[in-house]
Amino acid sequence: MSDLPKKKFVITRFDPDVDEVPKTQEYEIPVEPDWKVLDALNFIKDEIDGTLSHRWSCRMAVCGSCGMMVNGEPKLTCKETLADYGDTVEVSPLANFPIVRDLVVELDGFMDKFKSVKPWIIRAKELAVDEGPMRQSPEELEEFKQFSMCINCMLCYSACPVVANEPEFLGPAAIALGHRYNVDSRDEGAERRNEVFRGEGTVFSCSFANECSEVCPKHVDPAAAVNQAKFNAVIDWAKGLVLPRGGES
Amino acid sequence: MARASHPHAMHPKKPGSTRTAAPQMPPKFPMAGRYRAYTLFDWTGLIYLILGFMALEIVWALGTGKAEWVALMERFQNPIYVIFHVLALVSVIFVGVRFFGFFPKSQPPRIGPVKPPPQPVILGGLYVAWIGISAVFSLILSGALFR
Repeated sequence: MSDLPKKKFVITRFDPDVDEVPKTQEYEIPVEPDWKVLDALNFIKDEIDGTLSHRWSCRMAVCGSCGMMVNGEPKLTCKETLADYGDTVEVSPLANFPIVRDLVVELDGFMDKFKSVKPWIIRAKELAVDEGPMRQSPEELEEFKQFSMCINCMLCYSACPVVANEPEFLGPAAIALGHRYNVDSRDEGAERRNEVFRGEGTVFSCSFANECSEVCPKHVDPAAAVNQAKFNAVIDWAKGLVLPRGGES
Repeated sequence: MARASHPHAMHPKKPGSTRTAAPQMPPKFPMAGRYRAYTLFDWTGLIYLILGFMALEIVWALGTGKAEWVALMERFQNPIYVIFHVLALVSVIFVGVRFFGFFPKSQPPRIGPVKPPPQPVILGGLYVAWIGISAVFSLILSGALFR
């Protein structure tokens, strides 16, 4: 282990019982050639400083737990190979989120926004079991499949300048999820979600920085979803103006 | 550490029992990395604001009389105005290219039963329309059309 090259890690630390504001702490550790950033954090926690707090779980870019800022960019630390970084690696908690401890951020605000878009299939009338499953063609699946790939890692929130400045903004992942259900052929709740989307701090707050899509590790393209949701919300609103009963049959 | 975000950014509706540290902005915002193009895009709004005032001035000169119109045209030959117009042209091209790049993916998968054309077709259509309209306006302004 001692023959391995060393890297310096500058890690944000914050203990709510002691610190007024976050500070940084440096660790110099030997790194294996195939290590990810998360491996280094786990090494520091296991071998050097057990007080370091960070979230992780699956280690294969599926659970979305280990999102952090690595050298100023929101990244899944389990996906970032250390060999791609220089001798010094800065790791800090996700930007735009309140910091609970060290690299752990407050998730409840994110969950509040998620719930508000009603991320489930809404039916005017539920199908009876004996009516069989709701069928969906591959073409219909294709219309929303990309947006259903989100793993809720929150990197998009961390990159978004609107999230940084407008606390009411629903944010990329929540809007993408709401839009995903709006374009699902089995769903009948678009009108209810569009009411949410047309409210204050929602789809129209997005200024299309496109950063959410740039940093998305699963290529969900939330910026596309947000701006498609804008389009649909306007169409929905216009239908309400010009068609009898808002175009509802 | 980076600059602070809005103090209530991503705060829960019901505060938790643990004291939290204030959220921080993405460290590269606003002038590093990819944010630079976004910030530049925002700043072009200032150019369009000035262009708007200039358009009002043109309309005012048109309505006031020939002497004012001629004086305005002479003033527009000042190098500062010429430089500003070049800057305005560059910013229009920048915003146009940026907007066209994003527009195709902003189209919903369908509007009612109608599906939009494939994204490359939308993008191509936008550029053809832009070049076509610019060409027609150039011909009108040069006097080749509707003389």
